[in-house]
Amino acid sequence: MLLNMQNVTKHFGGVVAVSNLSLSIKQGEIVGLIGPNGAGKTTVMNVISGVYKIDSGKIEFDGMDITNKAPHEICQLGISRTFQIPRPFPDMTTLLNVAVGVLCGKHRPHMSFGDALLDASHCLEFVGLFGKRNTLARDLTLYELRALELARTLATTPKVIMIDEVMAGLNPAESLRAIKLIRRMIDEYHVSVLWIEHVMKVIMEATDRVEVLHHGEKIASGTPSEVANDPKVIQAYLGARYA
Amino acid sequence: MVRVEHKRGRLVFHIKDLKLEWAIEPRYWRNPLLAVGGLALLPIFFSGRPDMLTLITTATVYACIAISMGWQFVGIGRLNFGPQFFVGIGGFTAALLSIHLGWGPLQTLPIVILMGLIFGLMLSPLTTIAKGLYFSVITLILPLVFLEFTYVYTGIFRGESGLSGIAPLVNLGMVKLNYVVSCYLSLVMMLVFLYIVDKILRSRIGLYAAAINDDEDVANTMGLNINKWKIVCYTISSAMIAVTGWFIAHYFSTFAGVTYLPLAFMLKILLMVMVGGRGEIYGSVVGAYFVASLEKGLTALGPIHHVLFPIILLILLFTLPEGLYGLYRRHKYREYFPTIRVRKR
Repeated sequence: MLLNMQNVTKHFGGVVAVSNLSLSIKQGEIVGLIGPNGAGKTTVMNVISGVYKIDSGKIEFDGMDITNKAPHEICQLGISRTFQIPRPFPDMTTLLNVAVGVLCGKHRPHMSFGDALLDASHCLEFVGLFGKRNTLARDLTLYELRALELARTLATTPKVIMIDEVMAGLNPAESLRAIKLIRRMIDEYHVSVLWIEHVMKVIMEATDRVEVLHHGEKIASGTPSEVANDPKVIQAYLGARYA
Repeated sequence: MVRVEHKRGRLVFHIKDLKLEWAIEPRYWRNPLLAVGGLALLPIFFSGRPDMLTLITTATVYACIAISMGWQFVGIGRLNFGPQFFVGIGGFTAALLSIHLGWGPLQTLPIVILMGLIFGLMLSPLTTIAKGLYFSVITLILPLVFLEFTYVYTGIFRGESGLSGIAPLVNLGMVKLNYVVSCYLSLVMMLVFLYIVDKILRSRIGLYAAAINDDEDVANTMGLNINKWKIVCYTISSAMIAVTGWFIAHYFSTFAGVTYLPLAFMLKILLMVMVGGRGEIYGSVVGAYFVASLEKGLTALGPIHHVLFPIILLILLFTLPEGLYGLYRRHKYREYFPTIRVRKR
């Protein structure tokens, strides 16, 4: 098991955002995380990446206890994430945006600033943004911002990538490109993926296993086709009439 | 342990598993050499005018504060409204040591740097606790509290009249020569500050600072230890501001809290940073000379200058969003252009 969450609970005041959730990701696995709006998907991601401290439970990564560690420590161990709304460093060029990930991510010996820029340009080339390396990040289009987010996660040398709704707001052609990009990323960088997505077609095609959240609880788990026919899932999404 | 090699026009240092590069690029040396040459000629040109020499020296010292602030604004991602607190720390440390123990400027300097570092480190948790506007408000109040202190403990700080009788910076026997030499010393101090901050901002620490300025939460999730780097930045830049306080105290041989701790002094520094070029360190120098000479020039017009001075600066703030230095930089390729903003969060 690469990443293992056991009975994790997170409250916000009286609201239970994640309750007693257990989730695990194997090496090289692509896990989809779906659920209706407000199910707690992004909270799970924030909990894993250390932005929120959990109330009870345990998170293990690569045999190490990472419960309530600081976000930068978790990132340096090899868990990297993208954001639902792209959050680049707006006043920096794309190259420097990625270079931050190279220098701050997993500790790499003998990495000077110039070497980091070279490494960052490899990441940019991989996602197809090399031509825009000197553009300020605030001038990029939405697709380019998503590609930049992916390049930044790759730059930190991760073992697990958490992708938060890359398809949101992209047109069909762009989302096709994005899926191809993520597939290539998984093949060439050998990363495991936790993928939050609202576009069911993508989840059904791309993932090995799907976990369904509803009100912070796991209601179903299994292969995409198993989950799609689960009455509980249909009830959560469409209501009791269709179950 | 430490290995140095010369490779493709750059010195490469290997310290344990850290690799640092120091580029030696003579093709970029023209502008700095021109600037240094021009600055070196200034005191000779005005050698017969002590008032102009004093103006240049004060402008240069203000520029030193503005340079340190330019780095600090970017490096902690917050607007510090109280740089003069550390001017006070440096000035009073130098003054008290010099008066009571009879120390010269060279002996007080290490203590001043130490005090700047200690107070900077003591206050640095503010950069991680207080966000946005709250940080600005707290730093705004600190120097005013210090000013009250100088009134309450007037036996030590001489709140009303200020401390006098501090050992002078240079004493060569001739008054005119003293002016010229102190002017050169201030220019050397500014060039050292410029060199240090420029090197830092071009290195990886500068990139960390830029990331913290842009979005510190994202920087944290990308593996950057933001608290560490904010504390480092705040502490070192505070110590640099304290050194300017040391210079002021020894240069004028008097130091009064009333002159350097109130809001008016802070506003002048802030305007230099903003009019010069919003966090651009070279812009701060331009801004400092511009504001100081503008103030001097307007004084000739009589009492109306109290009104004209802020009005001109306000117009400049609105019409030049990237500052005076932005006029030059607008046509140049730039890697990072920091914008100073007060965050609500």
